[in-house]
Amino acid sequence: MLEVELCGIKLRNPTMLASGILGTSGAALKRVALSGGAGAIVTKSIGLTPREGHRNPTVVEINGGLISAIGLANPGYEEFGDEIRVAKEGGVPVIGSVYGFNFAEYAAVAETLQKYGVDAIELNISYPNVGKAGAFFGYSEELSHEVVKEVKKRVSLPVFAKLTAGAGDIVAIAKACEEAGADAITAIGALRAMKIDLITGKPVLGNEVGGLSGPCIKPIALRCVYEIAREVDIPVIGCGGITTGEDAVEFFLAGAKAVQIGTAVLYRGITVFKKVSQEIKEYLEENGYCSVDEIVGLALR
Amino acid sequence: MHEMQVVEIKKIIKETKRIKTFILDLDVSAIPGQFVMVWLPGVDEKPMSVSYTKGDLGITVLRLGDFTRRLFELSPGDVLGIRGPMGRGFKVYGDKLLLVGGGVGVAPLAPLAEEALRDGKEVTAIIGAITKSELLFVDRIERAGGRVLISTDDGSAGKKGFTTDVLRELLEEETFDQCFTCGPEIMMAKVLDITREKNIPTQASLHRYFKCGIGICGQCVLDGIGLRVCKEGPTFRDKELRKSPEFGRYWRNAAGQKIYFGGKK
Repeated sequence: MLEVELCGIKLRNPTMLASGILGTSGAALKRVALSGGAGAIVTKSIGLTPREGHRNPTVVEINGGLISAIGLANPGYEEFGDEIRVAKEGGVPVIGSVYGFNFAEYAAVAETLQKYGVDAIELNISYPNVGKAGAFFGYSEELSHEVVKEVKKRVSLPVFAKLTAGAGDIVAIAKACEEAGADAITAIGALRAMKIDLITGKPVLGNEVGGLSGPCIKPIALRCVYEIAREVDIPVIGCGGITTGEDAVEFFLAGAKAVQIGTAVLYRGITVFKKVSQEIKEYLEENGYCSVDEIVGLALR
Repeated sequence: MHEMQVVEIKKIIKETKRIKTFILDLDVSAIPGQFVMVWLPGVDEKPMSVSYTKGDLGITVLRLGDFTRRLFELSPGDVLGIRGPMGRGFKVYGDKLLLVGGGVGVAPLAPLAEEALRDGKEVTAIIGAITKSELLFVDRIERAGGRVLISTDDGSAGKKGFTTDVLRELLEEETFDQCFTCGPEIMMAKVLDITREKNIPTQASLHRYFKCGIGICGQCVLDGIGLRVCKEGPTFRDKELRKSPEFGRYWRNAAGQKIYFGGKK
């Protein structure tokens, strides 16, 4: 009942680990698959060279979510093969997230992750906290198009483009990615935000500004998925504040084929994927549906 | 929710030439072994284990790098941001306890000794340091009624050598219900090897590079077992640590690259 197919990849349930959460090592990804119950796992975004990221504090909790600025920390693509191998022991599809500072970096890292055996590539053109990487591309139709096109030339795997609502017209970006050959759209990544401490009068995050995630961005993410799904023919993966089965169902109704969960790990633990899957199942049963596919996009009709 | 609280430093105690205790204006109860994330505004945020767990919270810090150097420049009345206490503390269930602490690793063991002694348990602590003047909390544990055995690398106090040398000798004559250890990871790995031969269940408190401190970023996940040092730790059971190829061998830097203890692979 919960199985879905995404670009030819079979998922045992429609919940995926969102990139950036628990994804730095194979051991963590494997645990999210095995004890967490995720239907697929997305790695932390990997780049060409090792990066230590921003200095702490990198995460601050606020009402309704988190603001974080880890800063694309990662061990670099050369060292990541071992982690992918361990992650695959989790027995679910592994999606390699890729970021870059230019088209060639995106393409080179994607090609290497394909060699390491990932099941799909997710292009991070959504991350807002490192100058000319991530969202730098996702803010522009032309740059988004180019990234997807260059990566598609080099890999045969399905390629997802993860978009940011920080772009002026996210639907136009989604269309540009589709036209360039993207196989799916993930929407959305964290939104630029900040927190200032009243006693010291200083921004709390080491990077001063960070990405807002969690329940407080869910309505924005849902609106983005709804608008994108109406305009593109490729599958849309919902991401942004999904914490419960009801949240996930809202995204399916808006047109998402699957959902990604990140910040909710903080609120409901690593088994949040199992819990959300069970809640989706209960919704489907109570409302007389036999599969997730039956409710995808109902709100669009 | 672990909202950051910005609090004043009430008192600073110079423990040794390189170790200071900061007593904070923060009346929260912690379990020995738990940690707090300490924010030095404009500088950085680091995890520190709690050394005073009842009444005003305290942390005991070794001056090591830039962050701790800046921390050591502070005076009472200055402020720090604190998240926590967080993580899993030590779990006491036996009556006859053995503590093995190296250097500033004695910090979480001292409140554990005090609480256990107050609960009527018997406590023996092996405390080690490079030299006599760097020994931490010997008086504090003795004052609470614990027995303290000492080792120093240079032989200026107690046995010349390491805590593990004292441990080995002690376990020839005595046994304990439980052992708790904190200090350099190579030392803790040896402690676990020794107590395993004697079938003494052992808990160790680990140090890793932390980012989020709340179990979501994945930075501190231990290989082999997938457990998060900030969430399922920082204290772990010996049987958990033995399943991790990482324990006693390497840690991961801020980029997630493996860094081997002692520089060897």
